[in-house]
Amino acid sequence: MIDDIDVLTPEEREAAAAVRGLRMRGASSAFRDRLQTEFMTGSISSGLDRSRVREVPGVFRFPARWVPPLAWAAAATLIAVTAIGLNRGPAWQVKDVSGSGIIVVGNLPIPLEHSEQLAAALLPGARVRVPPGATVEVMAPGNLAIVLMAGTDVEMPASPGRWFGRGVSATLAGGQLRITTGPRFKGARLAIHTPEADVAVTGTTLAVICEPQGTCICVLEGHVDVGARGGEMSVVDEGRRRFVFNDGRGPEVDEMRPTERERLGEFRDSMDEALRR
Amino acid sequence: MAEFFEYYFDRVFGLVLRLLGDRTAAEDVTQEVFFKVYRAAHQIDPARDPGPWLTAIAYNACRDLWRSSAHRMSGKSRSIDDEAIVEPLASTANDPEQDALMNERERLVRTALAELPEALRTPVLLYEYQGMSHQEIAELLGIEHAAARKRYSRALAALAKLLKESLG
Repeated sequence: MIDDIDVLTPEEREAAAAVRGLRMRGASSAFRDRLQTEFMTGSISSGLDRSRVREVPGVFRFPARWVPPLAWAAAATLIAVTAIGLNRGPAWQVKDVSGSGIIVVGNLPIPLEHSEQLAAALLPGARVRVPPGATVEVMAPGNLAIVLMAGTDVEMPASPGRWFGRGVSATLAGGQLRITTGPRFKGARLAIHTPEADVAVTGTTLAVICEPQGTCICVLEGHVDVGARGGEMSVVDEGRRRFVFNDGRGPEVDEMRPTERERLGEFRDSMDEALRR
Repeated sequence: MAEFFEYYFDRVFGLVLRLLGDRTAAEDVTQEVFFKVYRAAHQIDPARDPGPWLTAIAYNACRDLWRSSAHRMSGKSRSIDDEAIVEPLASTANDPEQDALMNERERLVRTALAELPEALRTPVLLYEYQGMSHQEIAELLGIEHAAARKRYSRALAALAKLLKESLG
């Protein structure tokens, strides 16, 4: 220790003496006794393992290097969640109900008079069964309006998203749907699946009718792609109807029936203003 | 084994307590040292002084603790300042005023030591407290002899400055 004394300043010499003069601080007798017992009996364990366990007192601490990627991930998640929330199309509203009885949405029976409860239950994918003698008009403002005719059994489509998720689908097991699209439907696509037909709607007014022999698609405006389930799609033009049989026969194409033309026209006119709001 | 423990326990604990500045960590590292001694007991040569070997084990265990993420996250070594409050030093004289002054001076020295970076604190403690030569410190730390001397000098210079500020 002498070899440095010559080159040290008085202050440094004093600091060295201060360190040297620090009094010994002993371990607690409890720790000393425990360690001695463990050392003598061979039951001693790693102290650093013990230290590591102590350093994590039940609270997980993120290593510092995880912070930037986690922050980015959190920001990306927040943006994604926000975008998904903003993208969601308008919810279904019940515009009109005629008749009386109990409509079943999912497994929930709802009296037709309770239109608010009905609207709340009309979630995408919800199975809706309309009682005989009743009709229900629903609307996703700006996007779509649908009339669920008496006896209809349908899985409701979602309202098309604003920017993405613009393709939506419905499954019609029985009954009849009248559909018309609004200005915000532009660029969206509604697929309707019946037991024997696939229908692709990109902007039009039409009816999809499930009958005992098959599915009839009547197109009032624009055009619709129609095909047998899983088969090739064909275009059905304005004013025409296509019947897809369920017994293997080829499709039948014809002019729309006047009664259907009249009903669809009334439906379109009644919804036109509401859809433009 | 009992004699070995009796003889070296206080030296090991005292060294790691000064290196780490934290009593709980010092207990853990002391346990680690004796755990390693126990595992290597059959290799100990009774003809050789185990002191340097124990010092190396103790220093390496401290280094492992310093490098552990848990230790880094917990804010490195704590100041001995806190410990001094919890556990006042034993009285060495019958003069309470003298005791108080000495305790305060020690507290300031320990605080100044704790403020040194580990790379500087270790050489000065090993040299002044453990009585190791610069050559032995250099071998232990895996650095050149000149570097060990340099660190010691820098540590004392920094310590002198800190003590001047605190002691006036």
